[in-house]
Amino acid sequence: MSNISVLKSFFQINITFIFQVMLIGDSGVGKTCLLVRFKDNAFLSGSFISTVGIDFRNKVVNVDGTKVKLQIWDTAGQERFRSITRAYYRDAEDYHSKHTDTCSIIKHSLPLAWLAEINEYAQDNVVIMLLGNKADMNSDRIVRREDGERLAREYNVAFMETSAKTGMNVELAFMAIARDLKSRKLRKANEPSFNVAEYVNQEKQRGGCCS
Amino acid sequence: MAEEPVVSSANDDEFKQGSEPGACRNSMLIATDSYEDIAQYLKADVCQSDVPNGKSTSVVGDADDASETSTPDQTVKCQNRVDPEETSVCSEQCTQYDRQEVSSDDSAVGDNSEETATTAVTETGQNSPKETLPDISCINRQLSSLSASDGSPHSVDTDQVCQPASSDVTEPSVTAEEYLSPELDYVHSAQWKNQDKHIFILSKAGKPIYCRYGDEDRLVTLFGVMQALVSFIQSSKDSIRYIVAGDHKFVFLVREHLILVAIAQTKESSTHLLLQLTYIYNQVLSILTLSQLGRIFNMLHNYDLRRLLSGTEKTFDNLLNVMNQDPSFFLCAVRCLPLETSVRDTVAQSIAQNAKVKDLVYAILITNHQLITLVRMKHYFLHPLDLHLIFNLVSATESFKAAESWTPICLPKFDSNGYLHAYISYLDESCDACLLLLTVDKDLFFTLSDCKRKIMEKLTKHHSLKAICESIRRGNYCISEAGIPELRHFLYKSRSTAQFTSPKFEVPYTAEEDRQRLFRLYQHLHYRIHCNSRPLKIMFTVGEYETLLGWVTSGFELYAVFGPLVTKPLAINSINKLLKWIKKEEDRLFILNSPTF
Repeated sequence: MSNISVLKSFFQINITFIFQVMLIGDSGVGKTCLLVRFKDNAFLSGSFISTVGIDFRNKVVNVDGTKVKLQIWDTAGQERFRSITRAYYRDAEDYHSKHTDTCSIIKHSLPLAWLAEINEYAQDNVVIMLLGNKADMNSDRIVRREDGERLAREYNVAFMETSAKTGMNVELAFMAIARDLKSRKLRKANEPSFNVAEYVNQEKQRGGCCS
Repeated sequence: MAEEPVVSSANDDEFKQGSEPGACRNSMLIATDSYEDIAQYLKADVCQSDVPNGKSTSVVGDADDASETSTPDQTVKCQNRVDPEETSVCSEQCTQYDRQEVSSDDSAVGDNSEETATTAVTETGQNSPKETLPDISCINRQLSSLSASDGSPHSVDTDQVCQPASSDVTEPSVTAEEYLSPELDYVHSAQWKNQDKHIFILSKAGKPIYCRYGDEDRLVTLFGVMQALVSFIQSSKDSIRYIVAGDHKFVFLVREHLILVAIAQTKESSTHLLLQLTYIYNQVLSILTLSQLGRIFNMLHNYDLRRLLSGTEKTFDNLLNVMNQDPSFFLCAVRCLPLETSVRDTVAQSIAQNAKVKDLVYAILITNHQLITLVRMKHYFLHPLDLHLIFNLVSATESFKAAESWTPICLPKFDSNGYLHAYISYLDESCDACLLLLTVDKDLFFTLSDCKRKIMEKLTKHHSLKAICESIRRGNYCISEAGIPELRHFLYKSRSTAQFTSPKFEVPYTAEEDRQRLFRLYQHLHYRIHCNSRPLKIMFTVGEYETLLGWVTSGFELYAVFGPLVTKPLAINSINKLLKWIKKEEDRLFILNSPTF
């Protein structure tokens, strides 16, 4: 018992920031899979488990020596949950991760709708990142990378292609978010702001060199 | 035969006034709602919504039941399950019913030897023979040809089924080749037709919403026929209840916005099928609420409800599968996890003390369709129907296991027009117990998450968690614990608490098909005892494989299964022993007090 409480207080002291991250997007695009890959480094294969309501998971990450706790809200993509998830946009003070599956972009042309929702319901200072998941499905790809990038540029948000199956870019995406949120919290008025898009590009290039 | 009334009345005295096993000592834990109430509620509802200028309920009920007892279908059941010769029905009120029963059986056997006619029963209760309703019988033929379970060549079936209906309903874009290609054509295969029970949900406009097997889009014609049947009967200010065609029963539940249809060859009674449809309808409400349903369909009559229900197919599939093997649904009762009173009290207290949150309505701890404990807000009871929906939601949703969840849920008996917000979290990865905290405040997630943490600390400290896990691992108790060798299995329902108990299935009911057979026997027994036209108090039947005894008093319902050679006095003696045993064990098997916040 005492061990546990010591452990707990150890964490509490060291966690400097708590940020809320929200995953939104169409049903079946892989929001939960992405999160499970990030949190447990596992891939949920097999049958499709649809999220009911909102699932909450925490993960503590280390950003330049600072512990940052990401409170991740994994929302259900179905239309009937739209109204409850909306209610949480407001509370998610800092950041929204915007996930869109490669296939849903064209099929429902929804990233626009989702982006519009964020603009309407969320606070102004949210961080938005557009993710194209299932990037491993090269042959069945429905949305081209260029289209995703163009859209991201249009709305001035960061864009990444990820794959929960292979783990590609998943860690990077969440870390980029954590970094951005942290820098926003610490930034003094006259300092230049952290740019997720630039950071992502940098990291992506670096990853490209290594591989 | 003469001794039963004596025995039963003696026992009536013994167990009267809430002293029967499992009776609640304090106020009710769960709202009581006997089977009759629900049957009444079903009827009243149907009448209200569908026959605005309708006939009185009593007429409907009587006529319906009279027709039901004489349907050939029932005789088939008697023949297959329980030999009519050996069937004797004991009723305190009237022994001459016995003679009636036998004679009706005989005459019905005669009927059955010829080919059974299609019988349609409608709300006004008249059997509608073919000559009075020529149009409907024509549609019936289409339906029954669809459900014909022969192995005739594939293409012939398809032709019979599709062509008459496709002329008016299907889109022309679907070509004949598409229908005939085998991989696309599951819905017209013999396998599909041979499924025991089909369930369909459609909107009032005839739009498909859900079907249990196959793809709704490929069944639009069938949905069209069902909608046509319903509206045809409605046009004569009446409402269709069910159709019997050979082995098949087509049961309709018509609600304000939705039509639910069950097509079964399981020989279940129409009352039971109707009850199952009601559970499914409640499941829809639990996802969408009645007010939302109304809003949508008032705005757009032809709205495709699948858009809003996407992702919930699993919930419906799960509900249907469980209803086919769990007696708690037709008993309208809840099974409790056997647990020592002291443990259960500690658990309840830990929850009540640590979840003192304003606007928290229920705190429920459950495992695998069993209730561990329930703490409620004062003056609010939880209806078994609602609790079953909660059980189903938890068992059908895998994702609850991995994270804390927050989801809206509507409990139709609590309030069919609004959502409660549910915090759902499994206690521990090693333990299959799931905690639900239901509130009306949608902003309480973090408060409740905190409550759960505190509850967990308390449970670990008092070693309750271990006790719960242990009980879950051990599973249900064995019948041998009761020490009655001739008793094979039983269901005991305490009516005042709406809880029931039964031992685990053992030899000879270990195989799936035997268990299914036993389940159907229980259903049959339940139906015969609660049959509105002739309710029974005690029923004793001898079948080929087992002897059944059903006994209903004001306090409890007992259904017991013995070997086929057990005599009546021995059976009666056994159940008296059984009642004593249940009384002794009641603290462990039932939840007798009802803690509040």
